This record gives sequence, structure tokens and C-alpha cells, in this order.
Amino acid sequence: MDHRKYMTILKLDEAAIASRRAFFAVSDEDLARLASLRPLAEKIIDAIVEDFYALLLSHPDTRKFFADEATIRRVKRTQREYFMGLFAGRCDLAYVEDRLRVGAMHERIGLAPTWYLGAYRQYLELIRQHFDAQLTEQGAARDGFLSVQRLVFFDVALAIDTYIAANLEALGRHQAAVRELSTPVIRVHDRVLLLPLVGTVDSHRAQQIMESVLTHVVEAQARCIIIDIAGVPVVDTRVADHLLKTAAAVRLLGAQVVLTGITAQVARTMVQLGLDVSSMHTVSRLSEGIELALGMIGKAITAKSK
Amino acid sequence: MSAHSQIPILRIGSTLLVSIQIDLHDAVAEAFQADVLSAIEQRGTTGLVVDISGLDMVDTYVARILAETGRMAKLMGTSTVLVGMRPEVAATLVRMGYGLEGVRTALDLDDGLALLGHVIARR
Amino acid sequence: MIQVAATHRLSIDCEGDIIAVRRRVRDIAELRKFDSFATAAITTASSELARNALVHGGKGVALIEEVTDGSRLGIRIVFEDEGPGIEDIPRVLAGGYTTARSMGLGLSGSKRLVDEFALESTPGSGTKVTVTKWRRF
Repeated sequence: MDHRKYMTILKLDEAAIASRRAFFAVSDEDLARLASLRPLAEKIIDAIVEDFYALLLSHPDTRKFFADEATIRRVKRTQREYFMGLFAGRCDLAYVEDRLRVGAMHERIGLAPTWYLGAYRQYLELIRQHFDAQLTEQGAARDGFLSVQRLVFFDVALAIDTYIAANLEALGRHQAAVRELSTPVIRVHDRVLLLPLVGTVDSHRAQQIMESVLTHVVEAQARCIIIDIAGVPVVDTRVADHLLKTAAAVRLLGAQVVLTGITAQVARTMVQLGLDVSSMHTVSRLSEGIELALGMIGKAITAKSK
Repeated sequence: MSAHSQIPILRIGSTLLVSIQIDLHDAVAEAFQADVLSAIEQRGTTGLVVDISGLDMVDTYVARILAETGRMAKLMGTSTVLVGMRPEVAATLVRMGYGLEGVRTALDLDDGLALLGHVIARR
Repeated sequence: MIQVAATHRLSIDCEGDIIAVRRRVRDIAELRKFDSFATAAITTASSELARNALVHGGKGVALIEEVTDGSRLGIRIVFEDEGPGIEDIPRVLAGGYTTARSMGLGLSGSKRLVDEFALESTPGSGTKVTVTKWRRF
């Protein structure tokens, strides 16, 4: 997913960024301080990037993300950009967008938050060491480090939000796929549809079935939809009621339901439970249902003459 | 034609054609009913097609106006077909327990006119 | 814990207000990306309940709230009137009330269109109906 899309999903506008900045205590003073540390950052960047990747390459779970020398060269370049970004002295929409790009990239390659957060620990320690060694003025190393830490936590929150948004989006896509699979509507003939139902029908699925059937009937301008229930293990009062509601709604559209796949067992249950399905055309076998449906649109299956 | 309800009523031979495109609030719905019935009264009408494809919502009040209009037309010798109901409207009405039993339905105008032809030929 | 993100208050004094209420509900449902079936369901339920408040209460108020329970977005609507109230609530909800126009099917029908439905009524001091529809994932 494009990082710009995350900006929208996470509702990251000027106001949201201002609110985050206030909570993470990233002040203008911090940004000014970081900008003033830019010459130092340029001086220590090589050492930091080298030491940082030394750790990532030494651990088996993180090493696998760096397949070859070219990859390592590329991520080091990205890392340098990221590092210098901390000392750019700004924390605006463009900055956030840039940070989301990094988060989205990590999500895409499948780097779990564990390793991402663990790597940050190393990153901060390295920065601290260099600050301590280079900023000799009283309190300068501590103040500089605090400013870095504030901005880094701000970045980490953005990355974690990106991870979560990406996972929710994937879950939504999978659920949509399952929904599609649970109501596979097939076009049998011009204006005749078939829905073979397989598996248990609970009230949640029954609602999906009704909505899917109605949408398909109107889209295909179908005169008739055959619902085959041979693959439904239990047909009780509830399931029958759902089927009747679907048939009633299909009738409102101006089309009809033919119910097929009624086994001896199902027929016995229906009669014993006193279920009235007389508002639907019902037949035992799917082939008979298809013939019945074709009859409704003025078509018939005939034997080929020799 | 009468324009109380601002819903135009077209006549094709002995068939009246009404397409509802506006949000029916109560006064409009009742005026619509009155307009349709007086149009039937004026000249020999055998069929009425009501197109509701423009309605994204039909509550029980509007549904009842539609069903009643059909029954009133029937008393005056006119058969009614309701065409173009949207999937969301059908699902909502059925879930509310409002199946519009006794009202003839068709997918679109073509199907509706064809159905009317059959019904009137059988009479 | 249910949090209210936004509130819209509409009074129901005439038939035109029924349309205003359901249009506002539809706009919110569409803006919040409810699917078309859920949008039609909550819009229709609000039309039924707004008419109910007007016809049986003389006038009323609709309080439309955009809510979240942490994982889902929802629309909660409270309809209140100061009419005569309802004597036999179970009978009305079963759809058996046919004395006044659309009363029975209005309440029992809208109950079947929403995810949560609560009816409070004291004879003589009005009726309050609260409905919630959650956005499907």
C-alpha cells in the first residue's frame, strides 16, 4: 500500500501532527537544537550506520532481510537519509510522509515490530555514545540526546500505527475474499443465475447470502436464481426462514428463486417442522432446477436430432 | 396531466407509466396516489407501471401507499406492476416483514410491460 | 466503552423534518463508508422512528451520534417525544399494533433493521427509542 494512503487512513493532517508533537514533547526548541547539531551528525553518520548494520547483520533473525551486498548498500543509503532527517530541524506534513514511507517499507518486507524496536535501541545507544564523546560542553550531550529521543519516539509511533493499519487492511481484504467465496454466484445462462451453497448457514452468512443474491440478480437482470442447498448439512427452521426471506426479496425485484438439492432427509425435516416453502419453486435435483429456470425465460433443453 | 405531486404520469395506449424519481414525503406520496387514480378514471386504462428505480429508500409508509394504489387501481380494472426496485430496498422491506404480497413486480420497464401484456391477455 | 465522536440534533415538528432526519442519517452513513445495505437499513429505520415520534408524540427530537466502541464505527440515534407513551410495549414490538397508521410495523420493523434497539416508554410521559447500527468490517 502506498504511504500516502496511510496518511489518509491514519488521518494525519496538520492538526493531528500538532497534537502528536505536543504529546511527544517535540518542541520548536528541540527542532532548532537538532538543526544546530547537523554538522556533528554529518561527522558521525558513517560510524553510526556501520555499527548499526553490524548488529543487524550479526543476528540471524534480522540478517535474513539483507540478502546481498547490493541490498545492504541500498538500505545503508536509506538509513543515512533517515538519520539526516532527524537533524533537518522540521517536523511537518512532509516529514511525517517521509517517515510513513519508511514504516510502510518495513511492513512490506515483513520486518516484525520486535526487530524494528530492538534496532532502535541500538540506534539510540550509538547516538548517545557519539554525543557523549563529541559534545563536551556541560549538559549539551544530554540535551541533544533528549531532543533526538523525542523525535525518535514520534517516528516509532508512526511506524507502529502503519504496521497496525496495514494489518487491518489485509484482514479486511481477506474477509472480503471469504465473503466472495461464501456466495459464489454463477451465470448459468443469460438471465439465469446459480448459487451453490456449501457449509453451515448461520444468520450472519444468511444476511450476506441475501445481499449477494439481490445484488447479482439486479446486475445480471436475472429472471431466476437457482439456490442449490445440497451442500448445506443442516436445514432447520432458521435456515428455511432465511431462504424464504431471500425468496421474498428476490420476488420484490421481479425475479424468482428455484430451490434445488432438497434431499429426502431435508424434505422430511421440512414437513415434520411444518415449514411452508410453497412460495418457492422446489425440486430435488439441480438439473431439474436448471430446466425449470430455463423454462421461465422461454428456453428449453432438447435432444439433438440425428 | 395533473401535477399536484410533481410526478409526471405518461400514457402509452391504455397503459400508464409513472417513474418516481423524488424522495417521497408523506404529502407527495398521497398526492401521487390521488393523481394516479384520477388519471385512471379519466380514460380507459388497463395497466399501470410504477418505476421505483429512483428510490434509494422505501419505508413502510411509502410501501403501503404503493401497495394501496395497486389495490385501488385493481378496483378500477387496472393491473399494476412495480418495477426497478433496488436490492437494498428489497432487503430492507423483507427484513421489516413487509413483503408486498399481492403486488406484481418486474426487473425493469421492458419486463414490466411484457408482464402486463400477459396479465391483460389472460383476463 | 462507547465514545461519541460527533452529535447532530434535529427537531421533528413536521413531515419535512422526517426527510431531513433520514437525509442526514444517510449522509453520515455514506460519509462513514457504511455499505449500501447497512445505509439503507439505518436510513429506513430512522424514517420509521422519526414518523413514529411525529405521529404519536405530536413532535419530537432526533439525536444522531457518530460513535465508536474502539474497534467499530457506528451510528446511534435517539428519538424522543413527549406523547402519550406506549401501554403494551411487547405487543407493539411484535408488530401487532395496528390502531394508528404504521405504528406496529414502524417500531417492530425498525428493530429488525438495526443491531441494537432499546425502547423506553411510560404512559403519559413520552417515548424514547435508541437504535445503533455498526459498520461491518
